[in-house]
Amino acid sequence: MNERVKARTALGTAIVLVLLAPWVLDQPYWRGILVVCAMNVLLALSLNLVLGYTGQLNLGQSAFFGIGAYVSTLLIKSYGWNFWLAALVAVGAAGLLGLALAAFAVRLRGHYLAIASLGFAVITYQVLVNWENVTQGVRGIYGIMPPVASTTALFYLVAGIAVLVYVLIGNLVRSPIGETLRAIREDEVSAASLGINAALWKAFAFGIGAAIAGLAGCFYPGFVGTLVPDAFNIVESFTMLAMVIVGGMGTMIGPVIGAIVLTFLPELLRGFGELRLMIYGLALTLVVLFMPGGMVQAWMALRARIR
Amino acid sequence: MPDLLALLVQQSVNGVYLGCLYVMVALGLTLIYGVLNQINFAHADFVTVGAFTAFFTATRFATKVLGLPDAGAYLLSMFTALGAGALLGLAVNAAVFAPLRDRGDELRPLIATIGVSVLLENAQLALFGPIPYQFDSPFTRETIRLGRIFFSGQSVLVVGVSAAVIAALYAFMRFTFLGKALRAVAQDRETAGLMGINPSLLIGLTIVIASALAGMAGALLGPVLVLSPFAGASLIVKAFAIVIIGGFGNMQGTIIAGILVGIIEAFTVQYLGSGLIDLVVFVLLLVMLVVRPTGLIAERKEENV
Repeated sequence: MNERVKARTALGTAIVLVLLAPWVLDQPYWRGILVVCAMNVLLALSLNLVLGYTGQLNLGQSAFFGIGAYVSTLLIKSYGWNFWLAALVAVGAAGLLGLALAAFAVRLRGHYLAIASLGFAVITYQVLVNWENVTQGVRGIYGIMPPVASTTALFYLVAGIAVLVYVLIGNLVRSPIGETLRAIREDEVSAASLGINAALWKAFAFGIGAAIAGLAGCFYPGFVGTLVPDAFNIVESFTMLAMVIVGGMGTMIGPVIGAIVLTFLPELLRGFGELRLMIYGLALTLVVLFMPGGMVQAWMALRARIR
Repeated sequence: MPDLLALLVQQSVNGVYLGCLYVMVALGLTLIYGVLNQINFAHADFVTVGAFTAFFTATRFATKVLGLPDAGAYLLSMFTALGAGALLGLAVNAAVFAPLRDRGDELRPLIATIGVSVLLENAQLALFGPIPYQFDSPFTRETIRLGRIFFSGQSVLVVGVSAAVIAALYAFMRFTFLGKALRAVAQDRETAGLMGINPSLLIGLTIVIASALAGMAGALLGPVLVLSPFAGASLIVKAFAIVIIGGFGNMQGTIIAGILVGIIEAFTVQYLGSGLIDLVVFVLLLVMLVVRPTGLIAERKEENV
């Protein structure tokens, strides 16, 4: 089977799975979890572009998720905008903020970038809490309507967008741009000596990654119905990080699997109460220590052994 | 003394008190970075574990079981917190830093300790619940008045303990053989190894000392902090801000930056309101990263910047 047929089959399977999911998990609660799962897939894809393909440890992704949520909601609630127009502007705003973070990212590496992006996320969170005239602060915004009426329709919408984003990023990372990003990841100095403008392409990755996180953010408030700054705490960045790392960063399918596993696993462990939230931390540490390539790498190793 | 001057002096005093607490937290981070070039992201969670250990020592064990008076119980709790921190340090070194040390990737240990941090926070959530604990130090009630300036007994204790810890660390690094060996490992691990120094042992020792300091800082911070399982999450970012402003791995810089941030925080509360503390500190961090990423005191050229 050649690559193209393989890719088409995989895409077809994914679409069938998405279509079937709400009818397999047909209780309202599980349909809600499916929507969360689709949003998490989008977020994991967005972080993977920056962390997995460009090699930049960005701990500020929660900020862009929050900007997408707040900008779209405020435009709809305060100015009566149409959802899609508001979403478009919100995605643009998140992307611009991503470029603002990139201004730091082009000057800093490694630990310093991790901390700068973390500081960036905290500042965004603090602005959401303190700018009460606009964001209502910790009191929150209530009565937010989703763009489509039923949970199932919302799932199809977000999952459809996630599949589309997956295909687009997949094409991007296979293109020469993807090779450029990977070259920066492997060795920035060597990449620069080949004439690659690392600053420009890092800014590109940050901007696109932020815009996708912002897009996920547009669907969050309508789904939950309320909007409070705590939903975009820095802990959210760590959750995304866990999804990307556990699934396998720098691969296309890894973060998707990571997002699905880490959305459903805590739900299945509900019987353990608060202890189940430890799974994120435990999974993150264990994967880094024992299978740095994540579940994708573990699967490949397993398959190689069977053959 | 005119009102304004009294106010300025009073806020500076409060700032130094807060700053000393921050120094106690940030010193461990900078110590580990200086020797190992690694970040322990769970460092501030060691502080909250220390604070909870101290809380239960002071309110349950020491007073109810040993029958100590309040002051004695609190002083004892500083040492149990120190012990808890040291144990966590041993564990994180054995589980994360030692296995990942020679793989040469600077981000993997950081990501692994983010996992440890999430793990510890949620373990504490399961054990202690989400409602913040009220941790009173018996020394908070004592106030000392000097003209129009007030000091709480707690602030005198904190400044005293911090000064003693800093002096002890300095003396250890400067005058003991182990301290000298540590500095050698920090400068050049391979060469130090060739001189008959065991780098693994010394790196482990550094992490244990740093973590013990974090635990003890928890006992001192407990009465100031809103003591909840997630207190570490906001503290770690502030500790990073201090370490970066001071220059990563630079102890003098960290001490100066910690006290500076404490004073800035005290004046932010006075003039801008307490909600803006984090905003002011982190804007300062980002400005610092752009303008002078090597920190206030630049020791050597950092290749990370």
